[in-house]
Formats: sequence, C-alpha cells, structure tokens
Amino acid sequence: MTDAYYITAADLAAKGFENTPDELMSHKHMIYSSPATLDFNSPGAKGFGVKRAGLAIPGSVMLLVAPGCCGRNTALLNELGYNERFFYLLLDDTDIVTGRHLTKIPKACREVCESLDYTPTAVMICITCVDALLGTDMERVCRKCEDETGVPTVPAYMYALTREKRLPPMAGVRKSVYSLLKPQKRISNECNILGYFSHVHDDSELYDLLHSAGIKKVRELSRCSTIDEYHDLSRANFNLVINAEARYAAQDMEKRLGIPFIELTRMYRLDKIRNQYRLLGQALGAEFDDDKYYDKAKTAVDNFISKHGKISAAVGECVNADSFELALALTEYGIKVSEIYGTVGERNFVFIKKLAQVSPDTRIFSNLSPTMLNYERKTDIDVAIGVDAGYYHPDLPCAQFNTEEQPFGYEGVERLLAELDEALAKEEKK
Amino acid sequence: MKKFLRYISPLAPDDSGACSVLYELGGITVICDAGGCAGNVCGFDEPRWFTKKSALFSAGLRDMDAILGRDDRLVAKLALAQQQLERDFTAIVGTPVPAVIATDYKALERMAEKKTGVPCITVQTDGTKLYDKGEEEAYLRLFKTFAKEKLPTRKGTAAVIGATPLDTGFITADTIVSQIKAEGFEEVKCIGFDSGLDEVKNISRFEKIFVISPAGIRAGNYLKDNFSLDVEVHGCPLPGEYTDKLKDLRTGGRTLIIHQQMTANAVRDIIGDSTCGTFFMLDKTAAQEGDFHIKDEEDLAEKAKGFDLIIADISLKRALPEYKGEWFDLPHFAVSGRTFQ
Repeated sequence: MTDAYYITAADLAAKGFENTPDELMSHKHMIYSSPATLDFNSPGAKGFGVKRAGLAIPGSVMLLVAPGCCGRNTALLNELGYNERFFYLLLDDTDIVTGRHLTKIPKACREVCESLDYTPTAVMICITCVDALLGTDMERVCRKCEDETGVPTVPAYMYALTREKRLPPMAGVRKSVYSLLKPQKRISNECNILGYFSHVHDDSELYDLLHSAGIKKVRELSRCSTIDEYHDLSRANFNLVINAEARYAAQDMEKRLGIPFIELTRMYRLDKIRNQYRLLGQALGAEFDDDKYYDKAKTAVDNFISKHGKISAAVGECVNADSFELALALTEYGIKVSEIYGTVGERNFVFIKKLAQVSPDTRIFSNLSPTMLNYERKTDIDVAIGVDAGYYHPDLPCAQFNTEEQPFGYEGVERLLAELDEALAKEEKK
Repeated sequence: MKKFLRYISPLAPDDSGACSVLYELGGITVICDAGGCAGNVCGFDEPRWFTKKSALFSAGLRDMDAILGRDDRLVAKLALAQQQLERDFTAIVGTPVPAVIATDYKALERMAEKKTGVPCITVQTDGTKLYDKGEEEAYLRLFKTFAKEKLPTRKGTAAVIGATPLDTGFITADTIVSQIKAEGFEEVKCIGFDSGLDEVKNISRFEKIFVISPAGIRAGNYLKDNFSLDVEVHGCPLPGEYTDKLKDLRTGGRTLIIHQQMTANAVRDIIGDSTCGTFFMLDKTAAQEGDFHIKDEEDLAEKAKGFDLIIADISLKRALPEYKGEWFDLPHFAVSGRTFQ
C-alpha cells in the first residue's frame, strides 16, 4: 500500500505551479472525504454550504428542488433552527431525465408561501447537478414563481460539478444573496464588509480603523436581522471584500448598484497586515494609526514563543486562514511547521515559494488524496491547527481555529495564539 | 402536493444504502458524483465514517466529464486508487449525474475490471429512491459476484443480512450478534457489519440466514434458490434497555409503528396488536394484514389519523401537527440520522 502522498515545500517550489504533481490536483484522482473535503462538499451543523448560505437574506425561505440525496444532510441544520425555513420538492427518476419538474416549481413555491403564517421576504430556489446538466434556465423559472406568489424568488446554484470553474457554487451563492438589493442613494460614510456568511469578530481592529477614517456605519450581511437592514446594504459608499469568493458578488454590486470595492486578504504575518492597512488607508484617503494593535499582537507573539519555545505544528485547511499563509506566518514567528494539509492553487503558490526558503522540509499533503487513508504521522508534531489536522492527530492538542465568526487582522493573530495556548495548556494539565 | 416536503428532511437515499452495505467489505467504493453525494454519505449517512476507515471515495466528476461522458477518466482514476490501495474489489455507486447522462454501468464495470485486474460491481442507484433499494441491489450484486459455490454447512452458524446502521440504528453489530447467539447459535456474522468480504464469499457455509430488513429479502431469496440455504425473516434486534421500555409501555387503543418493516415487527412482537407503516419497502412475506406503505408527508398525515399511540422516530412528529395522541420515540437512522447509542 502506498503511504500518504506528500511533497516538501522545497521540492514543490522547485517544480513550479505548472508542474504541480497529479497527487495534489483534485481532478486527477478520486476524492477522499477528509473533514476538509466534507467542509465544502457537505457542510454540516457548522459551516456554510450553498443551502445554509442561501438563507442569509433575513426572513427568506428555501425550496430545494433536487433528488432526495441532495437534501439529505439538511437535517444537520435543523439543530440550528433552520427546519422552519427549508422546503423540498423531490425529483424522481423521470424528472431528472425529462426536466418535467420545472413546471411544478411555481406551484411548489405557492405551497411554500401558503404554508407559512407570514410572507417570506424571498424564496431561494436551490437546484443541483441535475439542473446543471439539463441546462435549466432558472432565472426564467424564478420569474414564473414570482408571478405565482408575488414573492421575490432567487436561484441558488448548488452545482458541485462546477466547483473548479470560474464561478464555483460558493461564489455564485454570494452573488445570489445580494441580488435583491436595489440601487439607492449612497452614503459617503457607510461601507459593507463582504466575504463570509458570519461577521468579523467584534473586537477586530478593522472596525476601529474604519471608524477612524470617518466611516460611521460598517454593515455586514450576517448582522442584518430584518429585510430593511438588508436593503440598507445598498447605501454603502464602498464594499470591503475580505474573501476572494465574494469578489464576483462585489463586481455585480458595482455594476448594478454602483458600489465600488476594495479587496483585502486575510493574513497572519504582522508586517503584511500592517502593509495592507497602510494601502487601505491610502485608498480611503486616510492614514491609519495601527501601532497599538500591531504592538499588542507582536507582544502576544513574543509571549507565546517565550512560553512555549520552539514547538512543531501541523496546519490544516479547515481553519479560518489560508493554510499556506498561516504556515508561513507561524514559521516566521519561530514555530516549526512540520506538515500542511492543504489545497495548492495559483493564488497561494506564492506562499509555498516563500515557505520553501524558510522551511524547506515542511511536508505538504492533499486532504483530497485517496492515499490519505493511509496517513501515519512520521514527523515531530506538538500541536495540530485546524479541524482536519486534529482528525489526523487525535492524540495531540488541537486548536481548531474554525469558528463561524471570522478573525481578521491583528486580532486574528492574537486569537490564534490564544487558542493555541489554550490547546497546549490542556495537554499540560493531562 | 406530491413529493413536497414541508416538515421533514429527505430520507436516506439509495446511494447511501448501497454504500452502507459495501462500507466494511474492504473494497474501493466510488460514488460516481461531483462530491456532494459522497459528502452526504460520509458526512451524514455513514456513522462509521469517523470510527472505521473505508476506501469510500467520490469520483470528483466535473461538468465536462459528465457532458462528454469521460468514463475512461473515471476508470483511470479508479485504477490509480487501486494501484495505491491494493484492494480485493472495486464498486461504483450511481448518483443523479450518471442517471441524467445514461451511463452504461455494464461497460464501466468491464472497463474497470480490465484496468484494475480485480472484480468490479456497479450499483445503479440514482439518488431519487430510498436507501433500502440501494441496499437491496448492493446485497444482490455482492452475492452474485462473490458467492460462487455451495460450501459444506457448518452447524450452529448464522449469517444476518440487512444489518446496516441505516436499518438498525447501531454502529456495531454487537447487539445483533449477541441476541441471535442467544437463540442458540455459536457463530453469528452480520454481512458487511463488523465482517468482511470473506463472509460474503462463504455465505453458503452458514446453517441459517436471517434477514432483518426488507432490503435483504431479494438477496435471501437468491441464496435460497441458488444454494438451498435456510433463509428466514427475523425481527430486527433492539437494544435491551429499549425493549424494557417498550415492555413498560401502556398501549390502549390503536397503535401505529413507523420504521422499516422488520424493526416494526420486533416492536410489535413486544407490545402486541399494532399496525406497521413504513416509508420504505413493504414486503408481503414480513408484513401483517393492515400494514401499509407511506408515500410522503401528505400520505402520512392521512394514514396516521385514528391512531392513539405512534411509535416512530421523533423527528416525524413535526409532520403531524394535528396529531393529538401519544408518541414513543423509535430512532431510525435513515429518517433522522440518529442511532440508538
């Protein structure tokens, strides 16, 4: 039996992105359902997939139009209180070949609306691979549903088949959830943060810095509890995009609503965070004073290293970070990163190149490779970071660092180190 | 409206059932999907996923694979996995994607066997049917492929067909094995549940075959017809503490049990006069007069009228807002994803 495949950062960087080994390219092999794979293929009670994300509009409900298998795990969301908001129109074997179900959708929408004792703000219609292959014009079906019910109806495409396309499902659903916004007068001192389906942690310095630049109101979709608050999102003077998956939604908002956007990257290297804030300040015509946040985070790093010394970590991708950027940051702080479980892409290859210089022996595994079934630890690791890393090392302390609320900036670094410290402290107690 | 669900989530689908049967047999099982179906199986319908390793993969199909019917790529990936993992057989489980593009499973099977050098079985599920249909086909394909000859019968042995977490609510076979052993058997094996491919190959050695869910009946009949085995429908074992609670249950008036037929039968054996309703296969050989099949939520609401006590998975209660009688919880993994443990 083949051992779990890995390549060192040095070897991968030397090959270059164009020559990434097949074992790290998901379309070249079968897909292993590691926790990381499940995180995007079947998010459960935690995490957001298309179904849960599609319900981000306050007061909306979802009609899933699909074979039973596609909606099966929705039961996991019941414990979060979503069972009142999901409805299903199940397709049979004739439907999926002939597409005859399309004529039933408006009636099903009417039944959804009539079964509720309130009028939903929107009906999201979630369709799956079946309709991707049938070439269903869902915009047209949604218009018919609106005629039938008078309720805005929006498609949410859960097309797993297109996951590696220009517009993967999670980017598409971000566009869907902002699509009901209407143009209105923009207010110069208001902005939105786009990126995730949960908001940034309240104590992130990002809010303070924006306020210091004269921004009075910072809005996020997940903080909207009413449809009126949702519609206020189109008052923003600009959008801050903190996750590339929201770029398409931001482009659409720019085109439809005239709201420009600025893109930031979530990082864990202090100097890079500082540099990004400097550039953001320039773009906003303000000079951010981030010294106190920088110093606090730097102190947290120094304290952590002096307390724990040169520990070794394994970094996964079920984590609120890009695993390669995080590994690079940890290495620069003085933590040895022995292994990374991640998905190599063009965007993060730049981090791998840098990692190759400072930690050439770091082993890079793919969470999707069938060989991970045979994974055995063969390096020194003191702590796992990420749900998937914890799965591979159930005997080690683990900082999952995977909360729904999102870390960002210096606060993210402090939060990570606090979680790591807590995980290591638990181990010491044992 | 038919096939419209207002209150309950979809029940376990056929592809989950097929995977459940194949899970512990030591082969490479490929769900022929883009990722979501495998995610549903591993992330929800397979409670053993995080406790027992299995080479259960997604084919990772992309739109052009489906549109262009690139079966050769699927087989190449399967061959690579076999090269890496060296298993005794491979299995390909269908989903809506191959159903829409009318995949030729027979051809796929031949191509896979040629490329990997080990037997391949295909299970033509499409995600639109329920788990028991997938289990039924998987059991049948397994025995047809691997049970080749009549072996000498070993006295005091029994094999159980139809034991999966989806059917039984157990994640190990311990309770089933101990209860059947208590009926006088020295050796009891649950096919595909704490046992491997050898028990499938050697099924004809067992003195007795017990079928504990409707999904196993066709396979049981196949074994009876081809190897003259002694096959008997048996109530699905329940945990001892649950049985005790049932014994204490006061059952005046009309009682409805909703589960798979053989679990409902086991409950009925304890509480006496009652009716079984099932969303799954209603097998005439196992059912009693008055037992009925439930098509959907609408049908459930109609057929539950007039009962004073319902013994069923508590998640179904939501679908009966008008029901005023008593409810006694009977977990069914294929309904709610809840086990007995």
